[in-house]
Amino acid sequence: MPRPHIEPFVDRDVPFRKFTMPGFPKGMQYKMLSLDPDNGACTMTVMYEPGYRQPPGMSYSEYELFVMTGSITVGDKVHGPGSYFMVPAGITIGALSSPRGATALLFYNYGEPSFVESDSDHPRAERARFAAVNAYDDMQWTSTNFFPATAPGCLVKVLHFDERTQAFTFLYCMTPNFWQDNISYHDCAEEAYHIWGTSWMMQFGDLPTGGYFYRPPYINHGAFGCKLGTLAIGRTDSRLYNHFHFNPWTNIEENRERAASRIQHWMPDLYKWINTHGHNHPVDFDFPHGHAHGDVPHHHGDGMVEHRHKAKRRRRK
Amino acid sequence: MKSIPHKRSREVEAWLKREIAEQKVRYRKIVAEQDALAPKRDKWVAEFLQRIQTRGTHVHFNMMRKVRPEEIPVKPKRKFRVVF
Repeated sequence: MPRPHIEPFVDRDVPFRKFTMPGFPKGMQYKMLSLDPDNGACTMTVMYEPGYRQPPGMSYSEYELFVMTGSITVGDKVHGPGSYFMVPAGITIGALSSPRGATALLFYNYGEPSFVESDSDHPRAERARFAAVNAYDDMQWTSTNFFPATAPGCLVKVLHFDERTQAFTFLYCMTPNFWQDNISYHDCAEEAYHIWGTSWMMQFGDLPTGGYFYRPPYINHGAFGCKLGTLAIGRTDSRLYNHFHFNPWTNIEENRERAASRIQHWMPDLYKWINTHGHNHPVDFDFPHGHAHGDVPHHHGDGMVEHRHKAKRRRRK
Repeated sequence: MKSIPHKRSREVEAWLKREIAEQKVRYRKIVAEQDALAPKRDKWVAEFLQRIQTRGTHVHFNMMRKVRPEEIPVKPKRKFRVVF
């Protein structure tokens, strides 16, 4: 079971608690925002207490860190509000400390939080995917560039884009008096946290500062409104497409079916191929083939979609 | 490589178990709060359906179109769920 639909949840309503996960140093507190019961992937608001110190180390899961207030020091560089890190699994980052304290968001995208003290990367780590940027100082706002697009007045800064899944992490802002009169749903899961400001959605009402949601695919949201402006950070787990409509009462099944029907009309040849091909394990020549590595769920025409298997041994010629 | 295979300790399993249980409580609270919001939501929906006939509904960016009265959907008899 993936993460449930958590919407809305306001972290200001709950206190910080000591983070007692084995492996992590003392001096970190957290509020759990959402958690995947299967693999432990989760999103948390965290507070580094003044004087927090963490030695160099790595995580078994990819994670993203966004500093909201205060500052952290990694190695010898100080990172203030707006600092964003995408740390792939197994990448060692330098000693982390927070002499005066900080609050941040931590996204563990594929596994439970883990910390292993280490001076070097794990052999399977992908160092090239590491990214660090200050989203406030080093980037400028742009219009959304997906079609159909959100209404004017919703601006983004893309912090991270995964070229295989097209998942992305982004800051977004809604200008004062932003409004968008339609209902949207996506094929991807998305989550967002309000760093500052209140926005409104027709289904859920107001989402204030500290407001958060984790929304699985195909769930209606909108119409939208924002009186005074909002600054937020969002993340998807795959490609985001805005399926717009104006029926407030459709459910997940109807929305999913509509999305599938649209694919049938937008990509008829591909749709037919996927439906009639006995083996639904298409190969992307840009990436490792799942049959060699056994890492991609697939089926052999029997509908058992979670089928996996180990890598096949290659015969020596 | 999104995640490196590893073995979880008993302490980690216990931490996860606690968090999963707490999340279930949180989820039930959200559902109850959203159920209580139903009368307001019905009013918001009625206003929305009115607006899209007069001002229009967003189709793409600043492109809008006015929805004809016969296009307005009819509320189904099933419960109006917003949290799934």
